Amino acid sequence: MSTTLKRVHGYLAEFDSVKDLYHAAEHVRDAGYQRWDVHSPFAIHGMDDAMGNPRSKLPMFVFCGGITGTTVAFTLETITQTNFWSHIGLGFLQKIVETYPTVVQGKPTDIWTLPAFFPVMFELTILFSAFTTLFGLLALIGLPRWNHPLFVSKNFSKFSDDGFFVCIEARDPKFSQEGTKSLLEKAGGKNIELVEDEI
Amino acid sequence: MSHHVTFKDLPQGGEKFEPAKGGKLIGTLGLFGLLGIAASAYFFFTSTDTFAYSWLFAVFFTFTFVVGGCFWILLHSASNSSWGVAVRRIWENLANMVVPLAIFASPLLLTAVNKPLYEWMGHHRTAAEHAAHADHPTTVKQALHHMAEDNPHLHVLVTKFGYMNLTNGFSWYSRFVAYFLILWFIARTLRGKSLQQEQDGDIKHTIWSRQFSCIVLLPFALIVTFAAYDWLVGLDYNWFSTMWGVYIFAGCAWASMAVSILVVTWLRGLGYLQKVVTDEHYHLMGKLLFAFTVFWAYISFSQYFLIWYANITEETRFYLIRNTEGWRAVSIFILLGHFIVPFLFLLSQKRKKNPVVISLGCLWILFMHLVDIYWNVIPERGPSLGIGVWVAGAWVQDIAALCAVFGTMSWLYLRGLAKYSLYPWRDPRLIESVNVIN
Repeated sequence: MSTTLKRVHGYLAEFDSVKDLYHAAEHVRDAGYQRWDVHSPFAIHGMDDAMGNPRSKLPMFVFCGGITGTTVAFTLETITQTNFWSHIGLGFLQKIVETYPTVVQGKPTDIWTLPAFFPVMFELTILFSAFTTLFGLLALIGLPRWNHPLFVSKNFSKFSDDGFFVCIEARDPKFSQEGTKSLLEKAGGKNIELVEDEI
Repeated sequence: MSHHVTFKDLPQGGEKFEPAKGGKLIGTLGLFGLLGIAASAYFFFTSTDTFAYSWLFAVFFTFTFVVGGCFWILLHSASNSSWGVAVRRIWENLANMVVPLAIFASPLLLTAVNKPLYEWMGHHRTAAEHAAHADHPTTVKQALHHMAEDNPHLHVLVTKFGYMNLTNGFSWYSRFVAYFLILWFIARTLRGKSLQQEQDGDIKHTIWSRQFSCIVLLPFALIVTFAAYDWLVGLDYNWFSTMWGVYIFAGCAWASMAVSILVVTWLRGLGYLQKVVTDEHYHLMGKLLFAFTVFWAYISFSQYFLIWYANITEETRFYLIRNTEGWRAVSIFILLGHFIVPFLFLLSQKRKKNPVVISLGCLWILFMHLVDIYWNVIPERGPSLGIGVWVAGAWVQDIAALCAVFGTMSWLYLRGLAKYSLYPWRDPRLIESVNVIN
C-alpha cells in the first residue's frame, strides 16, 4: 500500500480531431466551467470564442508600458538638456541632475528642441512596450514554473505532437467526480483519466 | 463561426446599387459641385493667380484618392490577398475616377494657370525667348545659364534642366499626360479583368491580375512620386526632399482607405452589402488605417527631422514659411490631428470593429488629410505671388475649387457605383472573403 499523498488535479480527456475538440470546448463552456483549458499541438482559430474566453488584459498593460516609455524618455532628455522644467516652475527637478544643454546647429535649449528627442522617445516607447508584452504575458500565463501536474499523465505527452486534450481542473467549483466525467464522455472524450499529482 | 455564408446565400448577379436610394447625399454633392464650378469659373477669370493655387490644391486632394484606390487594388492583387474581395469593387471604381480627374486637372496645362504656380516655368519661358532672339544659335539651357549670371538663384535651374523643362520628350507637359494615361491603363485593366470574371467565374483572371499587379507596382510608385514632385515640389524650384514621394503616397493610402470605409458604411446603411461585409472587414481595414497613420507620421517626421537638423538654406524654406504666423498653428494641429488623435483612436479593437464609430473616425481622417494637402500647397501662394504670408479672403476661392473638383468627383463616383455589381460576385474567393476571421 502506497503511503504517498496525492491531490486530484482534474480530468483529462482526449479528442480525435480539431473539430471534436472545438465542439467539446463549446460543451464545457456551456456547462459553465471556469477552470479548464484545451491543449493542442497548434493554435486553433476561433477557439477563444468556443471556450468563451474574455479578451486578454495584456493590451492595457502594453499601452501603459508604452506611455511609461514615452514619459521616461521625454523626462530624461528634457531634464538633462533643456530648461523646460524651470520654465514650468519645476526648476528644483533640474537641480537634482546637472543640466547640460548640448547646443548643436544653433538649436534652442527650450521645449522647441523637441524634434531632436523624438527618436529616443520613439525607441523607448517600443522597448517598454516590448518588455511589458513579454513579461506581462509570462505573468498572466504563470510562467516560468518548475513542473505541471498534467505531465504526470503519460498520454498527455501527445499534446505536442498529434493529441487534442481538454482538462477540467478539480478546483473548479462545478467539478464533481461523476458529473465532470460524464460531461466529457458526452462531449466525445476518449481515454478519460483522473490526473493525480503527488504532493 | 456561427453562420457560414455560401454562394447560395448571396444573390445571383451581385447587388446593383440604385442611385435613387442614396439620392440625398448624391444630390447634395452634385449641388455643391455645380455651385463650385460656377464660383470657380468666376474666380478663374477675376483672380487667376490666387485661384490657380486653390485649383491645384483641390485637384491634388482628389488625385490622392484616385491614386490610393489604385494602390489598394494593386496591393491586394499582388499580395494574393483574399480578405478584401468583398470591398475590391469600391477601390476599382475609385481608381477609375482618373478619367474625370484628368479633365479637372487639364486647366493646369494652361500657361495662365501654371505661370503663377511654378516660377521656374516663367524663367524657362524667358530663356526660350532669349534663345529665339539671340544672334547666334542658342539652346534654352544656354540662355538660362546666361541669365544665371545676373540672377545666381537660377543656377539651380540650369543643373535641374534635365528634369525641369518644358520642351523635350520628358518635359513637364509630357509627364503630366503620361501620369494620367498610365493610371488610366492600370485602373481600366484591373477592373476589366474583374468584370470579365463576372462573365465566366474563372480563377485565371485573378491569377492574371496578380501577375499584372506585380509588374505595374513599380511604374505606379514612380508615377505617384514624380507627380508629387512635378505638381507640389515644383512650387518652389529651390526645394528638394527625397522623402516627398513616400510622404504623399502615405497620405494617399491613408485617406483612400478612410473613404472606402465611409462608402462601405454608407452602402450598408442603404441596405447593401449586408451579408458580404462584416465587422471583420472593418477591423481589417481599420488595422490598415492604423498602419498608415503610423507610417505617415514616421515619414513626415523623418522629412522634417533631417531638414531641421541639417539646417540647409534651400531645404529649410519649406518649413520656414509653414512655421510663420498662422501656419505654425496649422503645423502643430497637423501633428496632433493627423497622428496622435487617430493613433489613440485606432488602438482599440472595439472601435475598429464598430462601423459607426470607425466611420466617424474616418470623417476626421478625411478632414485631416484635407488640412495636410492644404498645408502643403497653399502656404506657397502668398510668398510666391509676393502678397504676404496669408492671403486675405483667398479661402473662399479654396472652398470654391474644393466644391467644384471634390464635389463633382464624389457625385460622379457615387453615381458610377450603379454601373456594376457592388462586389465581384463571381470571384472564386468571394466566400473566403465573406467568412474572413482575423
